[in-house]
Amino acid sequence: MSFTGLEFTNKKRRGWLKILLGLAILLGLVFALSVFSSQIKNSFFTLSSPLQKNFLDAGKSSGNWLGSLLSATSLQRENEDLKKENQKLLSKISTLQSIQEGNQALSTISATCQNQNFSTVMAGVTGLAGNEDILTINKGSDDGIKEGMPVIDQYNVLYGKILKVYKNFSQIMLISNKNSIINVQTQQNNAEIATGIDNATEAEPAKTKTETNSTINGIVKGSGGLSIYLDLVPVDDQINSGEILITSSLEQTFPKNILVGKIAEIQKNDQKPFQQAKIDPFFNLDNIENLFVITNYKNEKSQ
Amino acid sequence: MSIGNWDLQTMWIKYLITILLFYFFALLQSSFFIYFNVFGAVPNLIFVLYFTVIFFDKKNNYYGAIFYAMLAGLFLDIFSTYKIGLSIVLLVIIGILIKKIQSSLSETKDDYSFAHFAILFFASFLIYHLSLKACLYFLNPNFIALTLNFKFLAELMYSLFFGAVGFYICKNLLKLDKNNKQNKFF
Repeated sequence: MSFTGLEFTNKKRRGWLKILLGLAILLGLVFALSVFSSQIKNSFFTLSSPLQKNFLDAGKSSGNWLGSLLSATSLQRENEDLKKENQKLLSKISTLQSIQEGNQALSTISATCQNQNFSTVMAGVTGLAGNEDILTINKGSDDGIKEGMPVIDQYNVLYGKILKVYKNFSQIMLISNKNSIINVQTQQNNAEIATGIDNATEAEPAKTKTETNSTINGIVKGSGGLSIYLDLVPVDDQINSGEILITSSLEQTFPKNILVGKIAEIQKNDQKPFQQAKIDPFFNLDNIENLFVITNYKNEKSQ
Repeated sequence: MSIGNWDLQTMWIKYLITILLFYFFALLQSSFFIYFNVFGAVPNLIFVLYFTVIFFDKKNNYYGAIFYAMLAGLFLDIFSTYKIGLSIVLLVIIGILIKKIQSSLSETKDDYSFAHFAILFFASFLIYHLSLKACLYFLNPNFIALTLNFKFLAELMYSLFFGAVGFYICKNLLKLDKNNKQNKFF
C-alpha cells in the first residue's frame, strides 16, 4: 500500500517538475523572441514582401471587382445623375459667362455714362428681323422702357431707338432702318487735319498741326440691310475717308457725341448741291449680347 | 516499425502543413482582406485557424495546444506593433484552458456541435482581446485605450463566420477520416 502511495507521490512530483520545466522553457523562449523581436519581424517582412504584394494586388482587384458587381445598379444611377449634373453645370457656365459679359459691359458703360449722367437699363438681345433692321430685346415697359429711348452699347456706339414697347420686351429700330435719320457731325481730330507740310514754302507756310478743322454736319440715313450712308453734306465741305461720325447737338432723339460710323467712300458730284458717302457703321450684331437703353435722356430743346 | 515511422512521418507532415497554413492565413489577413473590411475590421484568420485546430485536436493533447499557441502567437505578434511574446503567452494560457474545459465536459454523442464551438470561440476571442489590451495598457497606459468598440464586434462576427466555415470543413474531414478508418478496420 505505502509503495503505491509513494509511486503516486513521485508521479505527481514528476508531473509538477515537467510543468515547471515546460514553463521555464516557454518563458525563456518568449524572452528570447522578445529580445530579437525587431530582427525577427524585419527578416519576416523582407522574406514575405513579394508574396504580400501579390496578396495585396489580388485583394485590390478582387475588391474592385466585387465592389463594381455589388454597386452596378448604384453606379448606373450615379452615372445618370452625373450626366444630368454635367448638363446643368454646362448651362450654368453659359449663364455665368453671359452674366460676366454683362457685368463687364455694365462697368464699361458706367464709365461712359458717368460723365454724361445717363441712366441705363441693360437688355439682352433676343432676336433680329434682318430684312427690317429691327432688333428685339428682353426688356419692356415693366422695366421702365419707353418708345423713342436711345439704345447704345457699352462702347458708346449708337444702335438705334426704341420703336415699340411691350410688357416684357421691346423692339429697336436700328440706325440702318430705312426710316432712320440722324443728325451727325464729323469728330474733331487734330492729328488728321494737318495739311500742306510737304509743299510748304516760305510764301505759303504749312498749316500747323494744332489748327483744327471745323466740323462738318450732315445726316446719316439708313438704307436697309444693316447699311447707312451720309447725306446732305454741302458739296463744298471737305470730308475725308476714315473720318468718324458722331451724333451732333442738332440731334433731338439721341444724345450728342455718340459714335455712329466711319466714312468709307465719298460720292461727290459737282453738279449736285450735296455730297454723299458710304458709312461703315460701328454697330456690330455678330457678337452682341447686351445693349443699354438710356432712360433719362431728354433733349433740352424738346422740353 | 513501419507503422510507427508512418505515424511519425504523418505527424511531421501535419505540423508542416499547419505551419504553412498559419503563414498563408497571416498573409491573407494582413494583405488580402484589408480590401474586404467590414466597418474597418478584418477577420482574425490566425486566431480562427488556431482555435479550430485546437478544438478538433485530441482532448488531452496539451503539448499540441502549446505548439499551436506558440505558432499562432508568433504570427499575430509579427503583424502587431508590440514585441513578440505577448500573444504567445496569452494563447498558450487560452489553449490550456480550452483543453481543460474539453476534458472536463462529459462525453456526448456529438462532441463537435456548432453551438459548443461558437460559445468557446466567442469566449476565447473575448478573453484574448481583453487580456491583450489589459497587458498593453499595463505596459503603456498612454498608448492603448481599454475599450470594446463596434469595430471589435465586427471583427468578432467576421472571424466567427470564417470559424464556422472552418468548423464544417474540419467536421466533414473528420467524418471522412472516421469512415476510412472503419473501412480499413473491416
